[in-house]
Formats: sequence, C-alpha cells, structure tokens
Amino acid sequence: MRYEPRVPDESVNVSDVSPVRELGRLAGSLLAGLVVLGILIAFSVDIAVRLIPPDFETRAFADLQFADSGDPGRPDPRRASVQGLVARLAAHWKGAPYAFRVSISDSPELNAGAFPGGAIMVTSGLLAEVKSENELAFVLGHELGHFQGRHHLRRLGRSVLYGLAASAVLGQAGSAAQTGSLVTSLTERGFDRSQEEEADSLGLDLLNAEYGHVQEAGAFFARISESGGGARFLAYLSTHPAPADRALRLVRLAKSRGYAPRGTLTPYALVTAERP
Amino acid sequence: MDALIGLGLTAILLIATFIIGQKGERDHFEDLRRREARLRVMPVTTFETLPTGWEPTGSGIVTGSVVMSADYFKRFVAGFRKFFGGRLTMYEPLLDRARREAVVRMLEDAQKKGFDAVINVRIEGSRINRSGTEKDGVVAVEMLAYGTGIKRARKPVTPGTPKAA
Repeated sequence: MRYEPRVPDESVNVSDVSPVRELGRLAGSLLAGLVVLGILIAFSVDIAVRLIPPDFETRAFADLQFADSGDPGRPDPRRASVQGLVARLAAHWKGAPYAFRVSISDSPELNAGAFPGGAIMVTSGLLAEVKSENELAFVLGHELGHFQGRHHLRRLGRSVLYGLAASAVLGQAGSAAQTGSLVTSLTERGFDRSQEEEADSLGLDLLNAEYGHVQEAGAFFARISESGGGARFLAYLSTHPAPADRALRLVRLAKSRGYAPRGTLTPYALVTAERP
Repeated sequence: MDALIGLGLTAILLIATFIIGQKGERDHFEDLRRREARLRVMPVTTFETLPTGWEPTGSGIVTGSVVMSADYFKRFVAGFRKFFGGRLTMYEPLLDRARREAVVRMLEDAQKKGFDAVINVRIEGSRINRSGTEKDGVVAVEMLAYGTGIKRARKPVTPGTPKAA
C-alpha cells in the first residue's frame, strides 16, 4: 500500500452557498409568513368580534373601572359634565348598544380612549386645553365612533393574539424576533389608521347632529399641535392620526355630506367653572 | 422609533461583521493551504498500528487545538435557518477551518518534536458555553486533533515512499 499525501478537498465539507443570499431567502420568507399571519389574526379577530354581542361585552367588562382623580369620596364634577355631553351625543346614535361610562384620568397628558364595555377615558390635561364644547364633542364623538366599529375589542384581541404569536413563533428564532416585532407593529398601525378614519366619520356625524354644523371638528388637534403641545400631546398622536391630514380629510368629508362648516360655538364654561 | 434605531444598529453590525468575517475566512483558508502544502512531507494516518516495516526509534503524543467562533452575521443568518430547519451551511466554513487548523497545528507540533509521521490521528470537537443562563449558549467550538508521533530509523520519509516492504 502506498501513502499518497494529499491536501484537503475544500469542496466536500463546505457548501457553496452564499450566506447573504441565504439571509435574503430566509428573512424574506419569514417576513412574508409574518405578514400573512398578521392578516389572518386581524381577520379572525374581526370575525370573532362580530360574534360577541355588545351586552355580553358589557357584562364581561363590567368590572373595568378607571378610578377618577382626586378624593374617591367626592366624585370629580367634570366627570358628570362630560358624561352629560356623551349622553347627548350618544342620543343621536340610534340603538347604541352601550351604556357609556366616562372617567377622568388625572394626567397632564392630552389623551382620550375607548375601552371594552363602554368605558371612555378622558385625561384632565385634555379637558384643560379645550376651548369650546364643540371641540370636546368631536373628541368624544370620535371615541363613540370606536365603539360603533368595535375597535376597542378588535384592538384588544389583536394585541393579545399578536403578543401570543410573537412569543410562540419568534421566541424560537432569536435573531428574527426583532424583525418580527417591527412587522407586527407596522401592520397594526396600518389597521389603526383605517379605524381612526371610521371613528372620525361617526364623530363628524354626531357633531353635526348635535350642533347643526361641524365647526371645530379636528380644530382641537390642529391647534394643540401648532401651539406645540409637545410631549404632552405625544400620547394622543401615537394612537391617533396626524392633525394636518386629519383636518383636511374632515373638511372633505363634511363637504361631501353637506354639513355646514360654520356655526355658533357653544362655550365650554360649564366644566371649567366647576373644576375643583 | 426605538425599533428603527435598533434595526439600524443591527444592520450596521451585520454589514461590519460580514465584511470582517469574510475577510478573516478568506485569509485563514489561504494560510491553511500554504501550511498544508508545506506539511505534505509528513505522513499522517488514522491507523492505530504502525505499518509493517516501520522501525520506530521514538514516539510520543502530538496535539493541536483551536478555539473558533462564528461572527455575528453568521449567527444572525443561522437564527433564521434554525427557525425553518435544514443545513446550517453558514457554519460549515467555520468547522472546516477549525478541523484543518487543528490538524495543521498537530503536525507542526510533531515537526517541532522531531517526529517523521503521525499515526492514530483523532479529531474531537467540543463547544465552549457561555456561563450562566443566557439563551444563546454556545459561543465557540474547540477542535482538538491528536495522534502518536513516530520517529523512524530510516529518514526522512519522502512523499510516495512505499510504507510496506
């Protein structure tokens, strides 16, 4: 037997696969899969939400209470006044399936939100910036619009399922997790925008029904963003559309529905006078 | 915004480690080829016993070991591959380099000790783990090549010399 000295054959144990192409293929298919999964979740949540009757939702979330600010023994007088305005607006929404409950959150931030079971949260910071009742009415009408589209439930369902999916699917692929969370947040934001426009649409209808004109629809947001509401306004902006686009869209919507763009404004003295 | 900054940092890291990693890999393969060609004069076998006719005048253990790690880019790509399953081709050059480097170091050890050949060569791999409970446990692999260095009476052994009489 002869001994034949050889140098190693480099083509045997090392595959000729470009790692860059490998990354492109793998990351591409993972992203595509995530987008499909995100859309599937969104659709199945929408279907599930349609199957949940509002009265069941109200009972299920009856315990959901946002504590009013200040002394618990002395209810915030602003709450009753905002609650009254909500009731007047909701009266124009025939067959509203919720008994709306308003709570005032004592926070310098400017924000408002719709929560399961008919709970509406308004921050005291937002109330302090309001200049007329019409402004506040549009903000509240917008939140009522979220209830009409049942966005609060959809958002809740989606965020729960996205969270579950992210931890189940991406938890196994360490490096992929970051990319995945970005995709889910982008998808979610995209869906949010259409929900916001739906909510604005009802807000506008309610505003017109209550006051006979739609002056100050969206004016609040435009004014706050122009006056540099700054960091306190960030919370609202992160969950609502950009003020300029929004005001433009509202003007167009009002024109197409034949709503009067100008009218007398109702002062917002009632609430401010009673502020503790 | 935070997510975008994080993604940008990741992208910079990926590009940097890809360029550095590829260059290191190319240079290492080149270096291996050069040293392997030089060491061709030394017979190296996996047989446990001496070929007949060899009259050893001395023997001893020779070892070569190397610890190597994959770069961030490859670990990133491997993260995706591990999700879908399949061959981790991005780790293949790393392990090939480690095996060959270990063998070359073993032969250099043998040369330094004055041996003419190495028999009963074995290659073993082991991983070096991160301490603690961190998720991505393996940080590096160690490759160890060892064998029995043989000093022959009739020397030097030239390539292509018949081993058996």
